[in-house]
Amino acid sequence: MPNRKIIHIDMDAFFASVEQRDHPELRGKPVAVGGGGDRGVVAAASYEARKYGVRSAMASRTAKQKCPHLIFVKSRFDVYKQVSAQIRAIFAEYTPLIEPLSLDEAYLDVTENLKGMKSATLIANEIRQRIRQTTRLTASAGVSYNKFLAKLASDHRKPDGIFVIKPEEGEAFVAQLAIERFHGIGRVTAQKMHSLGIQSGADLRQRTEDFLRQNFGKSGGYYYRIARAQDDRPVEPDRIRKSVGSENTFAHDLDTLAEMQSGLIPLIEDVWQWVERTRVYGRTVTVKIKLNDFQTLTRSRSSFLPIRERKFFENLAFELLEENFPLPLPVRLLGVSLSNLEDSQPFEGKQLTLNF
Amino acid sequence: MKFVVSSSVLLKQLSAINGVVSTNPIVPILENFLFNLENNTLTVTASDLQTVMITEIEVEGGDKGAIAVPAKLLLDTLRGLPEQPITFNVDEETFGTEIVSDNGRYKLSGENPIDFPKTPSVNRGQSVDFSSTALGTAIANTIFATSTDDLRPAMTGVFVQIGTENATFVATDGHRLVRYRRTDIQSAADTSMIIQRKALNLLKSCLPAEDVPLKAEFTASNAFFSFNNIRMICRLIDERFPDYENALPTNNPNTLTINRMEMLNSLRRISIYSNRTTHQVRLKMEPGKLSISAEDLDYSNEANEKLMCEFNGDPMEIGFNAKFLIEILSNLVCKNITFELSAPNRAGLIIPVEQEDNEDILMLVMPVMLNTYA
Repeated sequence: MPNRKIIHIDMDAFFASVEQRDHPELRGKPVAVGGGGDRGVVAAASYEARKYGVRSAMASRTAKQKCPHLIFVKSRFDVYKQVSAQIRAIFAEYTPLIEPLSLDEAYLDVTENLKGMKSATLIANEIRQRIRQTTRLTASAGVSYNKFLAKLASDHRKPDGIFVIKPEEGEAFVAQLAIERFHGIGRVTAQKMHSLGIQSGADLRQRTEDFLRQNFGKSGGYYYRIARAQDDRPVEPDRIRKSVGSENTFAHDLDTLAEMQSGLIPLIEDVWQWVERTRVYGRTVTVKIKLNDFQTLTRSRSSFLPIRERKFFENLAFELLEENFPLPLPVRLLGVSLSNLEDSQPFEGKQLTLNF
Repeated sequence: MKFVVSSSVLLKQLSAINGVVSTNPIVPILENFLFNLENNTLTVTASDLQTVMITEIEVEGGDKGAIAVPAKLLLDTLRGLPEQPITFNVDEETFGTEIVSDNGRYKLSGENPIDFPKTPSVNRGQSVDFSSTALGTAIANTIFATSTDDLRPAMTGVFVQIGTENATFVATDGHRLVRYRRTDIQSAADTSMIIQRKALNLLKSCLPAEDVPLKAEFTASNAFFSFNNIRMICRLIDERFPDYENALPTNNPNTLTINRMEMLNSLRRISIYSNRTTHQVRLKMEPGKLSISAEDLDYSNEANEKLMCEFNGDPMEIGFNAKFLIEILSNLVCKNITFELSAPNRAGLIIPVEQEDNEDILMLVMPVMLNTYA
């Protein structure tokens, strides 16, 4: 594959920065976006809050212990979406190959770009400048020759920074990295790697693909390649949605099946509203159950034909829930999702089905 | 309890009902045949809880008694014996069973017959008389189109509607559908039910080659069939069958009539060249000519054939899964068939041109999208 030019753009503490921009009194203070209640979760933390160890996805109660004067702000998703659309419009001036990862993050393939610019670093800086002018927010950029390295790079000089990993530097960069920093290696995998004597990218590189596959299954092949800074995944502009789901952390733990069923109904309703609006039907129902010790169970079941009736969807979800009974502990969170989505727009080679 | 029976007669009757005995049943007692002896008649029952099959055999010995005998052990023994009278000696205290042949003795440990599940009884059932070949043909024509998706149990069986004028058998898996109607099966009152695929398969395999009268009775939860000296009781699928009538397209301006075997053989050749996962074939229709083609882009294989046909309507192209077409065409027996079509994204109907006097067959298959159609 010829060398590509990939940029990863990541807004700095996105939700929190938007709040600080719109509420000057919050500037320079530790801010967390999300519910401050007993069971709330931090959706985003400002850099001031991060100094105290507050992180996104942290339980609000833990966050308050780490930073007692933390200010909680309610999220305003409509505003975040609006800003997100602004930055995407900027990206679109440079390349059609944009793969958004979330509201505040995207990969751009600028190998061939609309401005005919040779330097990806110049493009990245121009984009960061335009974002600052348009939104009064800062973004960090990573520039490299594949998605894996570009994402690592954007993290390297955060906030408001840019970092470039050139083709000849990729392998060395990965070698010195602690494996916790690798995208796709979580806490549990990292612990397992430590127990196998793998601390850094260089350690990982010494292992054979067979060894990694034996210890980590399918992901082993991915680890083997990223240890060599290889990543052939293309930037995919039209990433089609693979699933739709809804979940809720309840104000108090649920014990009985009846409580959980009634807790599941609004989630089913959420998902079904999406199905009815988009007319995209799924074949697989997944139910997620998080116990109050944070242990998570997921159970799923697939139908041969797309699920076109809400009642059928609900029955499957209830069945999956019931089959997990009795549960060892009370339930903190429930989620339900639909996957194996079938677009109502027919495509080549698709077997059509009767409308049952 | 003691009786004497011909080894080959017993083997033949047990083989007829053995299909219902599963190798790993929910309750171990179901690995057995239940023997009931009374007035020189041995009644043998096999069950998997969903379906029960019963056969009656004339034996010598005036005893009365019951025993559950391991099905596999007994059948394996009988298969190995040359035809001869064999004697069963059963100790009803210990359930020990001894078979005495010309030159040997075989001891099996039976089980308590009390443990064998009770057979549901007919209770004010609706009774219908069939001929065994009519039922056999109806099963053969429909069972291949049933679904294997256990999440939609209604579609894993054949829907049977019996009315005052005819009987309709319907099977579908959502990709194809068969509606098979016979005017020589009638009932005084309308009745409908869904019968499990497994039960129908068992029934089909033990129907005799010659035509014999068959009596069927239906209750809300079970269907009962009896013919010769065999009875079958199967639990019905308690679900609502999909509204298939509305799925049948009524306005199909394009019709293509073609020799069934010619098309079937062509499809068998062309499908070799089709994509291995979609089995997609393309039918291009114009007056007088049908071309069937397939390509497998992964291997750069492609093939096409032209066949004579009679076509009325606007020239069109439509894609199908070749496996479905082959299955449908090979299940039909007529000389010519007619395709009724409207659009490349709408169901196609396949109807035999020549139908038997009291038969009405209609098959439906859903297309596969072609890239030329957006």
